Amino acid sequence: MTIEYFIFMLINGLSQGMLLFIIASGLSLVFGVLRVINFAHGSLYMIGAFVAFSLSTLMAGGTLYSFLVLLLVVPPILGVIGLLLEVSLFRRVYGQEHLLQLLLTYALVLILDDLVRVVWGGDPRNVARPEILAGSVDVLGLALPTYNVFILAVGPIIAFGLWFLLYRTRTGNVIRAAVSYPDTLGALGVNVSWVMTSTFMLGCWLAGLGGVLTAALANIDLGIGMEKIIECFAVVVIGGLGSVGGALLGSLIIGTGITFFQLPFGRWALVFPYALMALVLIWRPWGLFGKPER
Amino acid sequence: MDKSPSNNNISWIAGVVVAVALFVLPLVLARFGKTGEYWIWVTTEMIIMALFAMSLNLILGFGGMVSFGHAAFFGVGAYTVALLMKKAGWPLYLALPAAPVVAAITAAIIGWFCVRLLGLYFSILTLAFSQLLYMIVFQWYTFTGGDDGIHGIPRPESLGAINYYWLCVVLFLICFLVMRMIVNSSFGLSIRTIRENLERAKFIGINVRRYQLINFIIAGAFAGLAGGLLTELNRFAQTEFLHWSKSAEPILASLVGGMYSLVGPAIGSAVLMFLKIILQQLHRSMVEMWAIVLGLILLVVVLFAPGGLVGLYDRFFGKSES
Repeated sequence: MTIEYFIFMLINGLSQGMLLFIIASGLSLVFGVLRVINFAHGSLYMIGAFVAFSLSTLMAGGTLYSFLVLLLVVPPILGVIGLLLEVSLFRRVYGQEHLLQLLLTYALVLILDDLVRVVWGGDPRNVARPEILAGSVDVLGLALPTYNVFILAVGPIIAFGLWFLLYRTRTGNVIRAAVSYPDTLGALGVNVSWVMTSTFMLGCWLAGLGGVLTAALANIDLGIGMEKIIECFAVVVIGGLGSVGGALLGSLIIGTGITFFQLPFGRWALVFPYALMALVLIWRPWGLFGKPER
Repeated sequence: MDKSPSNNNISWIAGVVVAVALFVLPLVLARFGKTGEYWIWVTTEMIIMALFAMSLNLILGFGGMVSFGHAAFFGVGAYTVALLMKKAGWPLYLALPAAPVVAAITAAIIGWFCVRLLGLYFSILTLAFSQLLYMIVFQWYTFTGGDDGIHGIPRPESLGAINYYWLCVVLFLICFLVMRMIVNSSFGLSIRTIRENLERAKFIGINVRRYQLINFIIAGAFAGLAGGLLTELNRFAQTEFLHWSKSAEPILASLVGGMYSLVGPAIGSAVLMFLKIILQQLHRSMVEMWAIVLGLILLVVVLFAPGGLVGLYDRFFGKSES
């Protein structure tokens, strides 16, 4: 393996990882505050991708302008869907046994996935990339797909944004306090249920962003939600449930892992996330970045 | 509070009546020609899926452990029968008993790791293992046929639709009686003690992990048998049998039927399948909407009737606090 090829693979793997991070960080954030593992996160991501597809056909997409519109419009749409779901359903199961919470979100998977099928049908679709992101860029004499480099740039921006929000703003203090001491926070006069709603909306916003970015990267079809939610599980389990930093690490490990294992193992590389998830759960159930709960 | 199957005479009589009805059913159905054949096939599948749901409930309802990977053992049983009959040329009467054995061995290995974890982490680890198995079956084309599955599993001459139905009913009843014995034994009692209060169970000297592991293996074995039976009924095995959405089916059935009783999941499973077929008959486009309907049912149960149908029955007819 030449060094150029190695770098090529690394860029490819890291961009896959960054895309995964954008989606999985939402799942992790929501779990951290709401203590609910949202099975439907993958479905929301899929809805994001399909809404992006529909909007782009409406705008006869392919231009940079329309792609920016997608990036600005679709995630907030998902945020609003999140608002509705949180207020009408999720709120009712906080603090109940986790079987009921899991099943509530699973019920949403069934409903949302089927709605997507009824609305958009089962054909694979995609969103045309704007011309400026469609070609390849020259880096050290390597022709790298521009879009992958673009995702590689968006990922750290999101990671930094989340870090800044969580650790450098008052809102972040409140969110982090809601993770550890929800009761104290309420006693201090903070509207905890509003904190939960906003966090859930932020999680859905991230799912929507991941959906838009995916729609322009590859074909989207009805299976992507279920596939992605399990990968996200792997990510948050490896990183530690509720830890955004852990989600970043987990995403990059899985993204690069799958890419590099494809050389020696071919299709078998796809087994890697699940094997790693099982190993981490056995060895450190609370994840690499998490803390033991008991 | 605990709703163990009551030992009174009425439930025995009801059980015998149901069993006899199950035996006679295909004879009645056979009079309806093509529709009858279809319904014999459907009821056979209902019985098999009821067994699958009951097997999960041993760890879910009685053990209080939410496994999201139970389909792994269902699938292992299915592929055991498929591979042994198709590739090794074993006859059914040898391949079918092998299904629960192989499933139990798989459950022993997976369970050994899983019972070390509690609550949510247990659920996710079971999910991880079942997805791992799913991916292996999916990728290993030369052995499992990948996503083509294994088709054309032979069926012995003597096993027509009705005979196979009877075989399933007999096995189902035997399994039911065995499970009933397990649940009412001191072992079953310990399992329920662990569900109610883990710390106290440890305190009174129950080896929690070992009991949970044994329970996990037993449940895996029954699931494997169910998988084997379905494979022989459909005469194919496919990767979907191991997918995590398949693991959710018995959980839904348990929830709808009521997870604190032995027959609850079986009833729930039958009700759900029946509902699906009714919808299908009402309008063809309703099949498309089945997942939405199922999701809505699930939402209603989760939000308003966590005890399921058996729980509702108990609430309205007030026999719960026995």
